[in-house]
Amino acid sequence: MVISDVMHSDPVTISPGTKLKDAYKLMQEKNIRHLPVLKNEKLIGIVTDRDLRLATSKLAQKPFDPEETVENIMSHPVSTTHPSDPVEIATQLMRELKIGCLPVLEESKLVGIVTNADLLDALLLLTGVHQPTGRLDVRLPDRSGELARLAKLLADKKVNIHSILTYPEKDKKVRLVLRLGTMEIRNIAEAICNSGFEVIWPPHIACVK
Amino acid sequence: MCKVIYNNKYNLYNLGPGHPFDPVRVEMVLDLFKELGISIDITTPGPATVEEISEIHDSEYVKAIEAISAGKYSDDPEKYGLGTADNPIVKGMAEGARYQCGGTLSGAKLILRDKTKKVLQLGGGFHHAHKNFASGFCIYNDLALAINEFTKAGLHVAYIDIDVHHGDGVQEIFYSDDKVMTISLHESGEYLFPGTGWMHELGKGTGRSLKVNVPLEPFTEGESYLEVIDGIVEPALKWFKPDIMILQAGADAHFSDPLADLNLTTYDFEKIFRKMINLANNNCNGKMLITLGGGYSINATPRIWTLLYSTLINKEIHGKLPQNWILKWEKKLNKKLPGFLHDVLPAFDKIPRKNEIENHNRDTVRRLNDLVSPHWL
Repeated sequence: MVISDVMHSDPVTISPGTKLKDAYKLMQEKNIRHLPVLKNEKLIGIVTDRDLRLATSKLAQKPFDPEETVENIMSHPVSTTHPSDPVEIATQLMRELKIGCLPVLEESKLVGIVTNADLLDALLLLTGVHQPTGRLDVRLPDRSGELARLAKLLADKKVNIHSILTYPEKDKKVRLVLRLGTMEIRNIAEAICNSGFEVIWPPHIACVK
Repeated sequence: MCKVIYNNKYNLYNLGPGHPFDPVRVEMVLDLFKELGISIDITTPGPATVEEISEIHDSEYVKAIEAISAGKYSDDPEKYGLGTADNPIVKGMAEGARYQCGGTLSGAKLILRDKTKKVLQLGGGFHHAHKNFASGFCIYNDLALAINEFTKAGLHVAYIDIDVHHGDGVQEIFYSDDKVMTISLHESGEYLFPGTGWMHELGKGTGRSLKVNVPLEPFTEGESYLEVIDGIVEPALKWFKPDIMILQAGADAHFSDPLADLNLTTYDFEKIFRKMINLANNNCNGKMLITLGGGYSINATPRIWTLLYSTLINKEIHGKLPQNWILKWEKKLNKKLPGFLHDVLPAFDKIPRKNEIENHNRDTVRRLNDLVSPHWL
């Protein structure tokens, strides 16, 4: 999954001379939290709703006036991503910098924006249930051929694998959560168990050891 | 009084040897009543027509299913969910499914015409069938057809689903319908097919808060299950004031079911049936259409559905099952059957997490009430 799959194209932008009050109004109207700042079609900064609120807060040491321009408060240089970047890399960058959005640049031109909400949507797409399926949770040795062996077993039983989610565990093991198009998970799990895989769910699978 | 609907043509919906959805389960129930000397007044309706089925399902889908069933289909059946392990292609299955639908539909019509207040359809319950694809042993959604029959007459329907799997097909078909409340009690989608039926699935538009889902913890026992009915189903019906209750009475929440992980006993099922009947009497003018559903333990399912009917007609059946019946079916099935109508207690080992499971289910009821209470004013 790459950024162009999850980003918003045609983001709403402002210019360095936009007044703070107008930027605030724009965010309210469009129901957004991030405004890239463009000057001559080049991305030169970014303003978030938090930036605006902090800058104009009465609690600030020297609050900005709503009539001042965003140039004075915007963050720059801006960290960005590319449409063909994998979503996990963009996620890593956002977590590392502790920021909530990345403008997407292609050939130095702003083509989109990706926010943490988009990445949560991506997570939902990866982990969610999109077809009627049952859950099979298996622990595999982290080496080549294991997944193929498992997949072959399912194919032989004419069971479709709708999705596979994997994550690493300690001791060179991998956890695999599969969503399978069948109600008869137990039968399948038994066959899988008999082929030497460790079944975590469904529980209490009686397999021949 | 309670009318019973059955047609031996239901057996045409037979998904093959070894498939858990086995018509023998209902034959065993009918035979048991015969042996017990309980006479049943059975109505035998014909099949639903393709046109009737198409009131719920996409006509393109119905055409494809009929063609596949007749062996006259050349495209890929898997795009309609057929030809899979759960929904194999069996000649005549569409006709069988239409007979099953015809049964449920005629049950609805009997109630609509005031011929009776309660109907037990000894078949049907195909809650996983979607508008345009087959799933989870189901191809045509008889429940949706019956619901549709009632709403066409302007009635409000409460659909209650105690099958251990989420009633996803019915829910989806009526997701934004404000005449239909669906309540599904099931093992959590985190663990069990079809993976849906979460609390936040509340319906859309004017149907919002009318779709109610109670995902239960695996190994939930009867006490906790009954508490959930009191905590959610009862207030839901009191608020919605339906004209009729449709109950999908799947038996697969039984502890011995091979496909799922809830831990109800036959005693629990009897209490659940009694509660549902009382709820229908108190909130739905006594009107109630009951279908069967899942239930894949050959040893438990016929006993549970026998209890369903005996509870409906308020006839207590004592103790032992007739020896004739046991011998006959043990021979046919080549399987040992229990000697008693009810499970022998304790039915299973003590569940170590029992307290935790009960607390989790209580939290679920509380959270669900918080979600729906702004709507259920």
